[in-house]
Amino acid sequence: MLEPLLGSINRERVLLFLYSRDQGYAREIARFYKTDLSQIQKQLERLELGNIIYSKTLGKTRVYSLNPRYPFLEELQSLLEKVLSFYPPEEREKLTLSRKRPRRKGKPL
Amino acid sequence: MKHIKEMSLGELAAYVCTHLEKNGIHCVLTGGACVSIYTENRYESFDLDFVENVTSKRKHIIKVLSKIGFKEYNKYFKHDDTKYFIDFPAGPLAIGREPVRKPDVINFETGKLVLLSPTDSVKDRLAAYYHWNDKQCLDQAVLITETNNVDIDEIKRWSEREGKLSEFDSIKEKLLHKNKHL
Repeated sequence: MLEPLLGSINRERVLLFLYSRDQGYAREIARFYKTDLSQIQKQLERLELGNIIYSKTLGKTRVYSLNPRYPFLEELQSLLEKVLSFYPPEEREKLTLSRKRPRRKGKPL
Repeated sequence: MKHIKEMSLGELAAYVCTHLEKNGIHCVLTGGACVSIYTENRYESFDLDFVENVTSKRKHIIKVLSKIGFKEYNKYFKHDDTKYFIDFPAGPLAIGREPVRKPDVINFETGKLVLLSPTDSVKDRLAAYYHWNDKQCLDQAVLITETNNVDIDEIKRWSEREGKLSEFDSIKEKLLHKNKHL
């Protein structure tokens, strides 16, 4: 939906993923959208250079989030929220559905 | 004029800032370099982060900086005669959600440096503390308040705008305690 504005479908995907799930890493995002990892990595790198997202390393994984210091964050979030509202409910649910509550290791789901 | 290898961080920043300005690149020094300058190097930074409001073409920046011996290296600019390096983080010039209204100017013998004011520098460091939980940046903010006049009310107003009033209240004493020695 934002491809004409952002110039890249993968940039839109990255932003929507990070907005919906608060954080994510390249392989996870690529897997979710069944797309090429290098394309997602490229968009993550560009968005980070633009200060729109930021990253930190957890173990060996570089985890990205929307940058709370980005001056247009509120406006960006509103835009992404609106884009999400245009998604079919099942698509939206897939994107937003991820367990965030802590769960002890080994405990059955 | 001093040679680049003899320049302090502030002198070099002023030299570069003036050179950029003369060539139509209007930018403001931000980040850790401002802390270094305001704390007389009690916190040492090596990167000069210049932010532009209207982004210049990268090719133009490369050409202008090459005139004074800085070469692009992995998105940064380095010079053989100094340990300091230059970066141009993406604009706009803002601290959290707000634009920077009025940068300060300091004159060095090497040129004129446009940089964040001490109050904005504290806000800049607190943004990293509030949003990224960077405790080193809180220490830097406190260091600035030790030797500079900062507007605590303005910092409180800004913190509230960032949605971080309770965080401000919990560190206010640190900032005030240091500030009252002025």
